[in-house]
Amino acid sequence: MRALISKALVSTALAASLAAPAVAQGLRPDQVRFRALYKELVETNTTLSAGDCTLAAQKMAAHLKAASYPDSDLHIFTVPDHPREGGLVAVLHGSEPKTKAILLLGHLDVVEARRQDWTRDPFTLIEENGFFYARGASDMKSQVAAWVDLMVRLKEEGFRHRRDIKMALTCGEETATAFNGANYLATHERGLIDAAFALNEGGGGRLDADGNRLALSVQAAEKYPQSYQLEVTNPGGHSSRPVPDNAINRLAAGLLKIGGYQFPFQASDITRAYFGKMAPQVGGDMGKAMTAFSGGDMTAAKTLAADPTNNAVLHTTCIATMLNAGHAENALPQRADATVNCRIFPGTSAEQVRAKLQELVADPEVKVALMPARSAEPKGPPQPLAPEVFKPVEAVAARMWPGVPVVPFMSAGATDGAFLAPAGIPTYGVSGIFGEADGNGAHGLNEHMRARSLYEGRDFLYEVVKIYANQK
Amino acid sequence: MKRGWITAFAVLLALPANAQDLRPDQRAFRALYQELVETNTTLSSGSCTLAAQKMAAHLKAAGYPDSDLHFFSAPDHPKEGGLVAVLPGSDSKAKAILLLAHLDVVEAKREDWTRDPFKLVEEGRYFYGRGTADDKSLAATWVDIMVHFKHDAIAHRRPLKLALTCGEETNGAFNGAKWLTENQRGLIDAEFGLNEGGWGTMDEKGKRIALNIDAGEKLSQNYQLEVTNPGGHSMRPVKDNAITRLAAGLQKINAYDFPLESTDASREYFSRMAPLTGGAMGAAMAAFAHNPHDAKAAAVLATDPRYNAAMRTTCVPTLINGGHATNALPQRVTANVNCRIFPGTTIEQVRGKLLELTGDPQIKITAQAARSEPSGAPPLTDAIMKPIISMAAKRWPGVPVIPQLDIGATDASFVTPAGIPTYGFTAMFFEPDGSRLHGLNERIRSDVLYQGRDALYDLVKDYAK
Repeated sequence: MRALISKALVSTALAASLAAPAVAQGLRPDQVRFRALYKELVETNTTLSAGDCTLAAQKMAAHLKAASYPDSDLHIFTVPDHPREGGLVAVLHGSEPKTKAILLLGHLDVVEARRQDWTRDPFTLIEENGFFYARGASDMKSQVAAWVDLMVRLKEEGFRHRRDIKMALTCGEETATAFNGANYLATHERGLIDAAFALNEGGGGRLDADGNRLALSVQAAEKYPQSYQLEVTNPGGHSSRPVPDNAINRLAAGLLKIGGYQFPFQASDITRAYFGKMAPQVGGDMGKAMTAFSGGDMTAAKTLAADPTNNAVLHTTCIATMLNAGHAENALPQRADATVNCRIFPGTSAEQVRAKLQELVADPEVKVALMPARSAEPKGPPQPLAPEVFKPVEAVAARMWPGVPVVPFMSAGATDGAFLAPAGIPTYGVSGIFGEADGNGAHGLNEHMRARSLYEGRDFLYEVVKIYANQK
Repeated sequence: MKRGWITAFAVLLALPANAQDLRPDQRAFRALYQELVETNTTLSSGSCTLAAQKMAAHLKAAGYPDSDLHFFSAPDHPKEGGLVAVLPGSDSKAKAILLLAHLDVVEAKREDWTRDPFKLVEEGRYFYGRGTADDKSLAATWVDIMVHFKHDAIAHRRPLKLALTCGEETNGAFNGAKWLTENQRGLIDAEFGLNEGGWGTMDEKGKRIALNIDAGEKLSQNYQLEVTNPGGHSMRPVKDNAITRLAAGLQKINAYDFPLESTDASREYFSRMAPLTGGAMGAAMAAFAHNPHDAKAAAVLATDPRYNAAMRTTCVPTLINGGHATNALPQRVTANVNCRIFPGTTIEQVRGKLLELTGDPQIKITAQAARSEPSGAPPLTDAIMKPIISMAAKRWPGVPVIPQLDIGATDASFVTPAGIPTYGFTAMFFEPDGSRLHGLNERIRSDVLYQGRDALYDLVKDYAK
């Protein structure tokens, strides 16, 4: 990909490289500059509790402004009640305003991270043995940094393209009840982000445990996330005088029953196609099971489910994520609450899952209630994957990673596509960043990103966006 | 007195109908009690220091000089202060009586309670509110007694000392009683102390069964259970979940009954309660007192949480907290298990048992800072018992005074080892629900409160002679 570097950029990039740390010295100058932008973004804390998406949006806008975007094409937005949860929409105009735009979507916010639980400071970008460590290193400041970087480069290079390229960076994706910037834009600034389709997180490559590239997926559908609250109340009392009926024990018994249950396996056109294409890459018994599953053999799902990543797309899953009970060390708990987070397979309703959980706990004292929905429940099956989206991905992938198949994919995770799709902007997960077999610690401890994956993913997105931008 | 009468009259107009047949001194007491209950003294958002100031104002108004009112607080804990008040007696050589009570209360969440926990609500025959029983019933009574002794110039030989402290309810908080024994031992020096605990026993029909006096108590000890996990995104669940793991451990602790144990006081308690209780429960008490290894009798006793707690160490989960986001697998889950350890068992032995029960090396169990060291039982001498027995015989003929092992833990565990033998005696009767101490909708019968106040007034007069 070395040949792709613009000559105009070399001198600036060289200057930047003088200040780069030793670990980054094998990089091309444009990569050195990108690394600095990625570092700046990762080190801007954007958690809901203590961070500031608006600040991150301003920092990203400063890069675009430096690349001579006019102020009229940089829209920083916030709502009065959420001053730190703002975002940015940037527009790079094409030569054919009548051809619909493409939208590059990304969220700035990250999941909470506690310093004392992490090995390293989660808000300092640390590169160690070929990996970047930090909250957001993967989800999703990797792709956001790549979007901003390519918007800067296309402008600086004077790239000629037909369609408008729009970028929307938003806040609130990670917290179900927070102010959601994508939802806000779809509701209040629909014209500003209007596009033929949007590219978002949710797709990307998959590595095996040794770091070999297995496949590149394009996310065409997603499971529906819904959290449920389990609640037990009790008269409580003094802990010196325990009684058999204890709110914590009752809740614990219910959670154990949910933990022991597996929802029935399901399949869709997308998951069958996905496993069919993955089979030859994986090989062995797992590969055979994938082939069988893609041919309609549901008994093969049990073998597939041994891998948590596969398991997540084979059925609805529900897992306890939060727990809180009691009000004093020396008092019997009066209230015990748990959050159970479910990822619902398309075709099942949130209420059906609630009824199942209530049936599983088998205790009327453990009340199971729907928590506020993140987005509207999807109506009908997901749209088929459009060739205009899929084909450029195949073309660039074939050049960069010959032999690595491109597969349509249903993601277990929910993205901001859930807000844009109902507003008439079909949203696909497209990324050239390859994820680890361990899930990169996304949302977890010691989140990490393979440096090679980040740099080549950035190259991929640059190439693929250039193709989309000149589609008719 | 005229002015006082007008004040009492004004208060009367604001009182609910059921309080209108109170004596004037009871009305004044009710107002003081209401003021104290409505002063939030939780650790999280209350102020014991403010409550101490309000109580001192009553003493000052009764004529106590500033030199006999000692506020104390530690610099790091400005809201966790307390008060020591001294009323000298006629015999400068006689040792004092210490009236001890704690001002702080257990946390109470408005949304969980039927009524506002920091408003004194009188409904039916009960006062409702956090602290109405534990321990503001006693604290208000002590202040009221100190006011009356001064105001009415009651003749007494021994000095009376009042100590109102903070931090009794929270292990690890600044504990005022402990601080006084370590820093102001002379100020609170006394022949003996009277404290909470030893509430009377009343049946569900309101019949007074027995008056109890605490001699010795179980040791309260908290253990933290902790599970950590790499976590991850909740869209990709893995089999090993920190919440589920901890839940399984807690279920095993919950299913276990610690072995039966007894002390001289607990056997005497069951022996003397047996004929008063009668029926199958009474028979079980007698059998257990005779043979504390009688499993059948113990099984019957264990159906009543009070008796169960008097026969064995108990451990119960009281707090649990885990997870950091609704859409992330939990990385850390902790639970607090509160144990009440029978005299003779060590903190470490119980920890070992909890580890064995959970049987999961991923569940780390640590003993939290000990509240106090195990303390011996103070002797029940004639000087202590006779005034109580004669007061009880006069007020509640036929109701026996029975020593017991306190299943709770009080500030006596600091004061007794410092050389001030401290007894739990309140003359207030609790129904079988235990007055809902520490729980939801805590309450006390109004007749129990008023009669307990009268009884303690007489008792303190007798002791102070």
